[in-house]
Amino acid sequence: MLNTLKDIVRKSSIHVCLVNTGGCNGCDIEVVALLSPRYDLEQYGIYVHNNPREADVILVTGAVTDQWLENLRRIYTKAPEPKVVVAIGNCPLTGDVFNQEGGSVYAPVSDFIPVDAEISGCPPRPSEILEAILSVVPGAIALKGRQNK
Amino acid sequence: MSSVIWYLYEFAQKSWAEKFTGAKSEHDIVEKPDRFRDFPVVLKEYCIGCGACTAACPSPTAIKLVRDKDTSEKVGRVYPVINNRACIRCGFCAEVCPTDPKTIECGENHLIREEFTILPVEKHYVIDDYLCIRCKKCLKACCVEGAIKEEDNRISIDPSNCISCGDCLESCPVKGALKRIHMPHLDEQKEIINMVVSRLEKALEDKEEEIRNLPRDKLFKMELPLKPIMDDSLKILSDEELVQDIIERVTDRMKLRIITWDESKCTQCRLCVKECPLGSITYSPDSGVKRDPDKCLRCSTCYQTCPFGVAGYFVAKFLLDDQKDDGKIMITLKPSLLPITEPIPENLPLQESK
Amino acid sequence: MILPIGPIHPGLKEPLRLKLKTQGEKVLSAEIDYGYVHRGIERIMQGQTWQKSIFLAERVCGICSYIHTQTFAETFEKIAGQQVPLRAQYLRVLTNELDRTQSHLLANSTYFKALEHETLFMYMLALREPVMDAIELLTGNRVNMGWNVVGGVRMDARDSHLQKIREIIVKLESEYDKYVEMFAHGPLLGLRSRDVGKLTYDEAIKARAVGPIGRASGLKHDLREEHHTYKDNLDFKVIYRKEGDNFARTMNRFDEIRVSLDIIKQVIDNIPPGDIRTKIDFGAGYDQWRNEAPRGEVTYMIETNGNLIKEISIRTPSIMNIDACAKYMLKDVATVADAVATYATSDPCIACTERVVILDEKEGEKSYQGIHNLNHKTNLINEK
Repeated sequence: MLNTLKDIVRKSSIHVCLVNTGGCNGCDIEVVALLSPRYDLEQYGIYVHNNPREADVILVTGAVTDQWLENLRRIYTKAPEPKVVVAIGNCPLTGDVFNQEGGSVYAPVSDFIPVDAEISGCPPRPSEILEAILSVVPGAIALKGRQNK
Repeated sequence: MSSVIWYLYEFAQKSWAEKFTGAKSEHDIVEKPDRFRDFPVVLKEYCIGCGACTAACPSPTAIKLVRDKDTSEKVGRVYPVINNRACIRCGFCAEVCPTDPKTIECGENHLIREEFTILPVEKHYVIDDYLCIRCKKCLKACCVEGAIKEEDNRISIDPSNCISCGDCLESCPVKGALKRIHMPHLDEQKEIINMVVSRLEKALEDKEEEIRNLPRDKLFKMELPLKPIMDDSLKILSDEELVQDIIERVTDRMKLRIITWDESKCTQCRLCVKECPLGSITYSPDSGVKRDPDKCLRCSTCYQTCPFGVAGYFVAKFLLDDQKDDGKIMITLKPSLLPITEPIPENLPLQESK
Repeated sequence: MILPIGPIHPGLKEPLRLKLKTQGEKVLSAEIDYGYVHRGIERIMQGQTWQKSIFLAERVCGICSYIHTQTFAETFEKIAGQQVPLRAQYLRVLTNELDRTQSHLLANSTYFKALEHETLFMYMLALREPVMDAIELLTGNRVNMGWNVVGGVRMDARDSHLQKIREIIVKLESEYDKYVEMFAHGPLLGLRSRDVGKLTYDEAIKARAVGPIGRASGLKHDLREEHHTYKDNLDFKVIYRKEGDNFARTMNRFDEIRVSLDIIKQVIDNIPPGDIRTKIDFGAGYDQWRNEAPRGEVTYMIETNGNLIKEISIRTPSIMNIDACAKYMLKDVATVADAVATYATSDPCIACTERVVILDEKEGEKSYQGIHNLNHKTNLINEK
């Protein structure tokens, strides 16, 4: 009973922190476009706060650059449990065009922190991001919340 | 005050109240315009395995050519596989694909003309043995008997018979397999290129100890005097300007792989012998598996095949500094690109917050 | 007291550390740390063909991705000494102005978010979506368009596309005045924007401010006036103001959108038929080309050997504008909240700025490490 109630609460109020670990900015502005009245992210109970200390979901956009090698782990540990990491775009998945000779990126992100869901595209359309987040995140948060009890 | 009135006015509208109570996303957010370039679609049956898409792709891990296993009835099929996790949806693979109909389709098929393909076409006709698919269409198209020959499953053009009409080029279905080049002394040039490449490799191999002991964030640098290379080249071909040109071109493009060969690890499994496209790796019961560096194309297929780490490769960069008397070739190398010999240290465990 | 903001902070969208020196609520001065998104793009481009590099140039920055490909292509066209067909030039202008419109709308919406004026923030984003649709309709992708190549553009625009874009633009124009009015005459917004974050004419020149930031301080400089397509075929006037505060910068962007929409209509009315792509034969050479990006002046300097890129250097406007913001705008700001708003109005784009080449004069070395390694490097030199 209490668990079901907790699940409902967790599913309906999701706070998001956006971390750009060295991408081209394209995925970030597509996430900002999600806030617009046309996509209206907040009607699903998702709030973009950009504050890791109150985040349930960390959206990672970008291949990992020099400065983020340590800081990414620090941000991950600062987020309270239960937490879900979603990788948006190709940079966190494979490093995209930057991951070749001469580039100073350390993709993929899953080498540093566990990634729960991934959305490919360079950048993905807002509707693709919305679809993926809604299909994965509420369920994953509820599940993780029960495990960590 | 005026803004308060504005808010009251805005909230009092009926449409606002309707939107507030019945909030939902419009359906048009998932509709894609007809020009939208989604991930490319691969139609396997048309592929000729030319590799134009992999050469053109700006993302290093997005397209890979794979080959099905051979069966008793037929040879395995070659086709590209798109990795959605790295594809940037630019549609350039579809643009350069030379087959008709296209093997790769991506969004609207845009303006496609031969002159815009990525493979460099220069001006003499030569068949690139590595790309040739042995379809023998050029053999049929050729109007001079004996100009194009087939010898032990290799097709070549005999320059003494060729009249340079260009018919073979039109018939060839593979971009880049049949090239038109306008250059004298082709074989000598090839010899010089091979010589310079193996000379540079040798120089790097001599310094191997030093490179391995370098800290991982430093660059390895060394210089090689140009004079001896130049002198040896001039023995092969006496045109100094041309030789200079060749060496410059080699060093410009030589961001190439250097293949290392650690014989002590070899278990004589002979997997690489079959895979080498040029037949530069040979096996005989007396001497075992041997690699001939002069024939090697540096394609690194052996590196991908070998399960024991005999073949390794790293990437070095070269730059020609040609001053009058003491010209030299500068070499830089990142130790992080060296073949890994020791096991990688485990990543530090995460600090879990309780 | 030093108040650090960022790199991950509710007020910022991109990673950057802002160190504000405060006394009570008053901000005395500011300092900026870069280096969070350095990827080494220029170094990757070396030794690649233009066909691959143009997609890397596109990913220098996601917001103004279009102008990077155009400048890259035009540099190669200048090396070859050729020009693209007129229809391709018109199509480039069309996409450029659509991109400028969406970028300015996004910049203004960020400013309203920083002012905590949620309503206008939402309105700006709602206005931006149809423009993004127009871009997607024409080029096939919303952000990284993959639309320019050396020698022209990749796809032709059909008449139906141009008509649809025209409809979108006319609809946007009819609604547009209402929102500008809301900002210009709203007492709350006006009070918080006027006389905050001042950048005078002299300071703008000293800090080398470009784009809307420079023009709001009286620098009448717009590279579109010198561009051959604009100069020969299109009619527009440069918007500039004298005040140099947050209000002027925001209003300048609003007015520039009007100019852009006007140019788009001119292009759709006058676009000539013809080819959209031509073969460019460039040999070895070096050249540079400048263009007006949404944020100001972007310069590409390219040396090629006829096939591969030997050396490339990119100069983007944001680095000058952020510098102007840190040195002059954030001096003696009344409150910390205003400082964040002032930072937003300078329209910073961090992904643009982070391409640093460190030249060691003594040893003649060149390294493509991030700027955060610079301090480390200078320490090493000092120790020697």
